[in-house]
Amino acid sequence: MPQNNVATNTQLPKAIVSPELQQEIEQFLYFEASLLDDHLIADWMSLMAADIRYFMPLRTNRGPRERDREFSGSRDIAYFDESKASLDLRLRKLQTGLAWAEEPPSRTRHMVTNVRITALANPTEYEVKSAFLLYRNRAETQTDIFAGERIDGLRRIESVAGFEIFKRHIHLDQSTLLANNLSIFF
Amino acid sequence: MMTVIIRRNEKRSPNVDLSDVFDEQAGTISPVIYSDPDIYQMELERIFSRSWLFIAHETHIPKAGDYFSTYMAEDPVIAVRQKDGGVRVFLNQCRHRGMKICRTDSGNAKAFTCTYHGWAYDIGGNLVQVPLEEQSFPGLDKSKWGARQARVESYKGLIFATWNEEAPALAEYLGDFRYYLDTVLDASEGGTEAIGGIVKWIIPCNWKFAAEQFCSDMYHGTMSHTSPITAAITEEFPALDPTALSGFQFRASNGGHGTGFFEAPAGTSWGFRIVQAAGLVEGFDPEAAHSRQAAHLGDKRGTIFSQHLSIFPNFSVFNGASTARVWHPRGPNEIEVWAFGLVDKAASDAEKEQVRLMTLRTFSAAGTWEQDDGENWVEVQRVLRGHEARQTKFNIQMGAGATRNEGADFPGTISNAYAEEAARGLYAQWFKLMSDEEGTSSKRGAYVHAAE
Repeated sequence: MPQNNVATNTQLPKAIVSPELQQEIEQFLYFEASLLDDHLIADWMSLMAADIRYFMPLRTNRGPRERDREFSGSRDIAYFDESKASLDLRLRKLQTGLAWAEEPPSRTRHMVTNVRITALANPTEYEVKSAFLLYRNRAETQTDIFAGERIDGLRRIESVAGFEIFKRHIHLDQSTLLANNLSIFF
Repeated sequence: MMTVIIRRNEKRSPNVDLSDVFDEQAGTISPVIYSDPDIYQMELERIFSRSWLFIAHETHIPKAGDYFSTYMAEDPVIAVRQKDGGVRVFLNQCRHRGMKICRTDSGNAKAFTCTYHGWAYDIGGNLVQVPLEEQSFPGLDKSKWGARQARVESYKGLIFATWNEEAPALAEYLGDFRYYLDTVLDASEGGTEAIGGIVKWIIPCNWKFAAEQFCSDMYHGTMSHTSPITAAITEEFPALDPTALSGFQFRASNGGHGTGFFEAPAGTSWGFRIVQAAGLVEGFDPEAAHSRQAAHLGDKRGTIFSQHLSIFPNFSVFNGASTARVWHPRGPNEIEVWAFGLVDKAASDAEKEQVRLMTLRTFSAAGTWEQDDGENWVEVQRVLRGHEARQTKFNIQMGAGATRNEGADFPGTISNAYAEEAARGLYAQWFKLMSDEEGTSSKRGAYVHAAE
């Protein structure tokens, strides 16, 4: 019989990062979220590294023997599987002013919490896991709530923000998406 | 003009007056058909329980025991590959107290065991085990209590099922629509395979808005989708002038199926798709892909691009991307979209990756094109909460009286791309089935599907 996977997830990270680094990265995540919520999408896009992979897999209900296939793979369809070029195309779509799903734009609030940081082999790079709750309200009464986990790759660079994002994997806590579209960023 | 008043089974619902909801001569449609709960209940019986419904692609369940949980309208069903290579589709409902016998989306199974009392069914849906059988159900004839089986047939990789024992064979049901469906399903040796993953999402709108748009509506493209078109314009791929494009629409002679498409100016077919994917995948040769498909199709269908189509009632494809989907109805005011990608089996890995990226970036819940379709249908549906709005007829006259036969080397009843002839075909089929009580389950007395 398959084992319940609780045991393997109860390990603490090998090294907990310094309070200074923890605060620095959390402040970066809050800053990034504020750009999205303030509709400064072009500024938000400038935080995405040239080698960004922005990926939100599908999520399925699987039996115990196939639980490892819960998320769609890299050769499957995904909600998002984006490069810098395709994110830029999405930005240009919004900038036309004719992107009806975001015209007028959704009101969003990105809440980021449960931030766990792991230093990577490259001393300028970190893996940052966080939980998010994203509230969206648009038009008159449409309201969507998305929850999930983000697994980010952050790279320290010389810039006002201090970091760029080279990986964002988004695990949405839904199987059938309960919204009529995903016209916003996570 | 047909005028039909349908009297429903008096015990089950009030009379529903369908007179005047669709008038093909006048070119009008009453929006009550998108919002009325009694009409919706009639649709479940008269449309969905009598038509062939899409289930899955053959490649979703390649090996014996592979299963795929889906729906036939609101009814949950399981499609399972059998040891003899065939496919069975049966109701996902235990015959004891009606619990689902499969609660996962897909996988490989040796049996389906109900998690309520433990009745177990084999991969053919036959009841094979009843817990404590000697004490609890002595003398039970298990062969009479299998899961309810649907009729199953395939067409070029697509599995369909129906509850209607009297429906024509699937190939006959598709009829002269097959010629245009083959542009998608038979464009290369070996046909198609499904790209992994089903995108499932909810749109609060009536199922007919989606089915009709994919059947007939090229007209909305330049307005609804102006933003992704504009955003992708580059020097290398300048804007295509939609008014200068030659395009056609086809209304199936029977059955309510329809399609429309452009003829691609030389070299633009893949170019358009590549810019919409935000780039060429390394190693992909669009010229070779185009030549392979044009040679295999062997006629003017090799020039078709941006093809939309619907198979009545609720299966659609957009072959500008490579997306196929079912619009599962969920009451008059909601659908679940189940979308997947289609790609030629003969395609190289690079071509498959190009198609995957193009499809998910354009036609998916987050797709740059599809986002805006959902927005339109949701708003239309909300307006129909208004009593006066529901009594205000819609115009469905575009291209009326302007059809021709065997036009421009394309066979059948042909219109220009910007027409609503195929939509009128869809609603004519809808009206025909809704007006015909013969063969419905209530007429057959099949509400109690007792053991034979």
